[in-house]
Amino acid sequence: MIVSDNDQCDEGRQLPAGLPAEAVLRRLLLPCGEELLLVAMPQEHDGDGQPPHGTPLLAEAATAWVAAATPAATVISVPLYGCHVVWAPGRAAVIGAPSRLEALATAVTDFADREADLRHLEQRCAELLESLDRDAPHAFAVDERTFDQRDALAARFREAVAVRGRLARAAPAVHAPPVHPPTLASQLGERLRDRTRLAERHEFAVDRAELAERLYEACGQRAAEFGIARRQQGLEWAIVVLLVIQTTLLIVDLLARGAAT
Amino acid sequence: MDDSARLPRVAIVGGGPGGLFTAWHLERMMATPVSLTILEASHRLGGKVCTASFAAAPVTYEAGAAELYDYSPVDDDPLRQLVRHLGLPTVSIGGAAVFVAGRPIANLDDLASACGENARHALMSFDTRARSAMTAGEFYESGADHAADAAAGGPFVGLLDGITCADTRRYVDVMIHSDLATEAEETNCGYGLQNYLMNDPAYMRLYCIAGGNEQLMRAIAVRLAAAVRLGTAVTEVRDGPDGAIRLRLQTQGQATHEDFDVVILALPMDALERVRFVGASLADALRRHVEHHAHPAHYLRVSVLLDRPAPPLPGDDAYLMLDAFGGTCLYVESARDPCAAHGVLGWLLGGAAAVEMAGLPDEAVVAAVLASLPVPLAACREQVLETRVHRWTGAVSALPGGWTRLPADRRHRPSPAHPKLFVVGDYLYDSTLNGVLDSAEHVAGWVAAEQMPERLAAPAASVGKTTEASP
Repeated sequence: MIVSDNDQCDEGRQLPAGLPAEAVLRRLLLPCGEELLLVAMPQEHDGDGQPPHGTPLLAEAATAWVAAATPAATVISVPLYGCHVVWAPGRAAVIGAPSRLEALATAVTDFADREADLRHLEQRCAELLESLDRDAPHAFAVDERTFDQRDALAARFREAVAVRGRLARAAPAVHAPPVHPPTLASQLGERLRDRTRLAERHEFAVDRAELAERLYEACGQRAAEFGIARRQQGLEWAIVVLLVIQTTLLIVDLLARGAAT
Repeated sequence: MDDSARLPRVAIVGGGPGGLFTAWHLERMMATPVSLTILEASHRLGGKVCTASFAAAPVTYEAGAAELYDYSPVDDDPLRQLVRHLGLPTVSIGGAAVFVAGRPIANLDDLASACGENARHALMSFDTRARSAMTAGEFYESGADHAADAAAGGPFVGLLDGITCADTRRYVDVMIHSDLATEAEETNCGYGLQNYLMNDPAYMRLYCIAGGNEQLMRAIAVRLAAAVRLGTAVTEVRDGPDGAIRLRLQTQGQATHEDFDVVILALPMDALERVRFVGASLADALRRHVEHHAHPAHYLRVSVLLDRPAPPLPGDDAYLMLDAFGGTCLYVESARDPCAAHGVLGWLLGGAAAVEMAGLPDEAVVAAVLASLPVPLAACREQVLETRVHRWTGAVSALPGGWTRLPADRRHRPSPAHPKLFVVGDYLYDSTLNGVLDSAEHVAGWVAAEQMPERLAAPAASVGKTTEASP
């Protein structure tokens, strides 16, 4: 899931203040289009389950750095045996043994992409819901004035279907069962998923997208029915006119014959 | 004539989970009223589900069952549904770390770095074999009649011996020992596999009830209409007049006897062994029942109150496994309450180590468990305010269902010649609370469907010498 486009990946940038010199900062472009600034901080552990002496300070510095960019967002801090990960939308820091940093970075990036993707979909759902109240009456009745809005309604229907499609594609990753026996990366991914309530958020987004899809589907049906009815009405009038002409001609013909006899 | 004298009389012997679950189901399944009496030898209900309090501070701890099993990832979970029905808040718990030689192994990467790639491959190989031997569906159905074959397979130690790497073998031993509560040679592959596979969230998850697991027992007890007689031990069971069953009761040193239409023995195996069954066929049937099912397993619970909250475990874990005592589980119980002012640590020792430690004085037991604390919790040794030790020797089964599991009806009615005498117990299923609930439901359904219509058709006038009020 990590973007491998080197043009987009800016490693070794100048480190923010408070982070150790051996830390590596990477700018990653996630597949969903969002950027992630990731700091990897190598830290050797004794292997007894106790974090090294400096880890709390490092975690504190990492938390401050992660929180600085997104003060409104909730910063998620996940201590695991032998490593510590801090994440917020757009920024993440991993502290761990050098041999495990790459696996941790991959897990965080994987998660960050899923979360960002879901966040964008939630935003699109919210925009759909904004027009929901306004468009709801069109699901029952359409007149000449609203019929002119059918292109906009169709666009929102396409948007709802597109969002549902994206949510369906995201579902397997969001609802994946925990890996067993676990790996460090799987444990980290599951903790981050739990802490950000990814599964619940996905379900709510699906519900909202489904609601929008149903509404705009109904709007589309009403608009189509209205269009068909309007065409039928035109045809009916044409038939009436033709019948009148035919009747007139018939009368003229009869009168002409009567005059001749 | 008092109404209760005409009602069929049902005695449930034992006020532990089995007795309470049976009463709960009976009261809901019976189409007609019955006079239901729960006879409990001790002065509290709940049995092995026991949430006690420290004296030094108003802090509770689990003295018995540490957690409940959630089978809902696989299928319907009647116990989870019951907990929800009773409106009890729950807390999910988990723990990945196994401390071997002072080093935490919380995942495959840790295992590989501590013991080498060979250890990782050995664990993956064993895990694959375990999953092939028992799927999540089979795990869920263990205890059912059609799942009898899954329980076969000889001693569990044979399966463990197939682990080629000694480090991995040690890791698996430590991981499952305290849940198994016995040694691998004392149980079969089916039960051993259950205790290994329960670590996989696809098979099962763990949870506890906020405020203590005993809340479940209390919530059931207050909703029962049954008469509850605490401090009343059943010492003898024999045939009574007109097809009734006569119980000899011991209350405050006084012996009496009472006759009941139906008797349900909801006792742990060690308590069942202490009851005297009079009459050749009854005594023989119960002797065979006990012989088949008596495979005692042992627990020892040690709880320690700390003067401040214990440090949180990494990864939001609620417990970890230690290689001390052949494999023991250490719960950081205070982690379940984010507002806790004190720390509570709880050790769960199982098997031979539990028996050995149970013979020592409390001080020696506490000293031994405190010495086992891993480095991340070592500072807790200096913060101890109070300690408690609870011995559960022989309280559970090392081989639920026995080496060959009998059909469910046979398990629950040990003497076909005594169709109104039933037994309920976790030892008949899988040594879990879920199992005892299944057992209780089986018997309650049986009694409701078969016994009562027959009894109502021909009420025995001689039955019912006591004057307990009917529900």
